[in-house]
Amino acid sequence: MTELTLDVRDISKRFGDGETGVLAVRDVSLAIEPGEIVLIMGPSGSGKTTLLSMMGALLRPTSGSIHLDGMPISMMSEDRLPDIRLRQIGFIFQDFNLLSALTTLENVSVVAELAGVKGRAARGRAQALLSDLGLGERLDFLPEKLSGGEKQRVAIARALVNDPPLILADEPTANLDSKIGHEIMRLLRAVAKQEGRSVVIVSHDERIRDIADRVLWLEDGALRDIVTMATDPVCGMAIERERAVSAARDGETWYFCSRGCRAEYLGGPTAEAVIEGPAGDRQAADRER
Amino acid sequence: MMGAGVLLARRNLGRDRVRLAASVGGIALALSLTLALDAIYAGVANQLTTYIERSGADVWVAQAGVRNLHMVASALPASVVDAVRAIDGVATITPILEATDTIAAGEERAVAYVIGLPAGAAAGGPWDIAEGSAQVGPGEIIVDRGFARTAGVALGGTVEVLGGQARIVGLSSGTASLVNTVAFVSFGDFRAMRGGAAVISFALVTVAPGASADGVAAAIERRVPGVTAQSRADFMAQERRIVTDMSADVIAIMSIVGFVVALAVVALTVYVATLARRRDYGVLKALGARNRVLYRVVLAQAAISVAAGLAVGLGFTASLSILVGWTDLDLQLAITASSVEKVAVFAAVIAGLAAILPIRQIGGVDPAIVFRRGAPA
Ligand SMILES: Nc1ncnc2c1ncn2[C@@H]1O[C@H](COP(=O)(O)OP(=O)(O)OP(=O)(O)O)[C@@H](O)[C@H]1O
Ligand SMILES: [Mg+2]
Repeated sequence: MTELTLDVRDISKRFGDGETGVLAVRDVSLAIEPGEIVLIMGPSGSGKTTLLSMMGALLRPTSGSIHLDGMPISMMSEDRLPDIRLRQIGFIFQDFNLLSALTTLENVSVVAELAGVKGRAARGRAQALLSDLGLGERLDFLPEKLSGGEKQRVAIARALVNDPPLILADEPTANLDSKIGHEIMRLLRAVAKQEGRSVVIVSHDERIRDIADRVLWLEDGALRDIVTMATDPVCGMAIERERAVSAARDGETWYFCSRGCRAEYLGGPTAEAVIEGPAGDRQAADRER
Repeated sequence: MMGAGVLLARRNLGRDRVRLAASVGGIALALSLTLALDAIYAGVANQLTTYIERSGADVWVAQAGVRNLHMVASALPASVVDAVRAIDGVATITPILEATDTIAAGEERAVAYVIGLPAGAAAGGPWDIAEGSAQVGPGEIIVDRGFARTAGVALGGTVEVLGGQARIVGLSSGTASLVNTVAFVSFGDFRAMRGGAAVISFALVTVAPGASADGVAAAIERRVPGVTAQSRADFMAQERRIVTDMSADVIAIMSIVGFVVALAVVALTVYVATLARRRDYGVLKALGARNRVLYRVVLAQAAISVAAGLAVGLGFTASLSILVGWTDLDLQLAITASSVEKVAVFAAVIAGLAAILPIRQIGGVDPAIVFRRGAPA
């Protein structure tokens, strides 16, 4: 049996009390193995960030437990959490969150120094990582001089510098164009597969599905069976793909809110084949939600 | 960890050159206020004690209870001279008459220590003659060169002194200060102008090789009744105390003003700098930096600003004192070690106090803000 990197059991998070209270996460359980990439998707406000913050020891669950590499981080004293975050977890953010006063190299080395690595060694480690990520020529640049993709690669180097078993990323590609976003996803995959780290990604980005081993759907704070949304080409309604009726046409699969819409659609000329029922393939017409 | 804190502090400061310059400048000016004022008073004290220091006397013998020169009168019977001379360790003894009086020439008037000096005095005479003679005979006077220049008189000119007139035979230098000047007349003239009584003001003693000034002073007090005898160092210290006592309130007030201004400047700039980087501190916390590392960043920022301000302030005051030395002003800025020490302690306290508010700011930053984008940083 493989040791779990992250073992989340029945966690809930409530903000505020009584009438005005919000149950942002409810009874979520999930287990993540070393080297596994898990993508968490879900509508805005569904609790994705709240869940990620709890897994990152930044927020304490109201109930339930979280074990990271066997350590019960949800029960640890406040005092021990910084060290857990520093050594056990690498964070990657949508807006990079690099320190604007530090150079590329310093942004990475300072995190190693926080973990007690001495200046020279810390810089050496940072430089090696940054060079691996293709930033060898950018070591002395300030973040403001870097492109979005470069910034996110610096953030990845920073997340890796203390060699953590778990990487948490909140919308890592949202501020990047699709080509750069793809490159970042490829990097994250390499981080997981070559180095055996677990990676949890929260994203709206459908393209991340390609690199994920597992996709989870969070809605109203709870994990649901995966649903994929599509838009009915006839009436324009957003529909759950798994429950919709569909039809294939011109080599593409289309989803409809009702048989009526499908019939109307197929009324047109070049219909070739008709497939009924839920379909799992992903097509260009898919829309998230 | 030390390294990370200081690195962050340096970078935070370095990326905000304008703010750094403003804060260092403000601190420097505020601390200079105290430094310069201290230096001026120390300069005055130096000037006031110059005559005592350069008189050549190792021991000053005065009327009992008289411990300094300024604003007091000392009168001793002339017989004291022989009594003192008989004491072991006394090499020479020079009686002088001394009064604080106004001397005048042309339109110029100045407060002066007027010294009645015997012919061939072993001590108590001018120590640096710029022009003319170092000896004063009947009807003659030696005045400070600066006084003569402002008064528009030269060697051979006339000066009103002690209710009579005297002819300038020598111009001394180093004998004028912001508050007074020193003039030398003959002992006989001084005594005559004072009615001819067999009285002296002070007896200036030099001690024999191997004898200690303190020992001789003690022996004199023991053996000669009605006198107070002090070594030159003690006599100077007493004289300095007059300036210190006089200036204590002014210096205290200005020090407080300087302290408050410097504190306000540092506290404000460090606070603003911290606020501006609130999100950075949140990110560092999220990444696993402990609060105390972040506190150290703020403290280091305050300390670096204040240290730089202190250095610039010292440099500024030192340059000012050099500049003043080049002018004709009878003003001297003496930067003393104790003044620098005092201001350095001020500076350290300022840095500590200035860091309190930003530290509380940082303490309250929730690391979970890192995931909240667009949120006010
Ligand atoms: N600190 C907080 N205090 C009170 N309510 C909060 C807090 N943080 C989150 N919430 C609430 O919890 C719910 C889930 O928020 P969360 O940020 O986790 O959603 P999300 O899935 O990340 O949304 P998005 O996709 O927009 O980022 C929301 O209703 C939100 O208003
Ligand atoms: Mg979110």
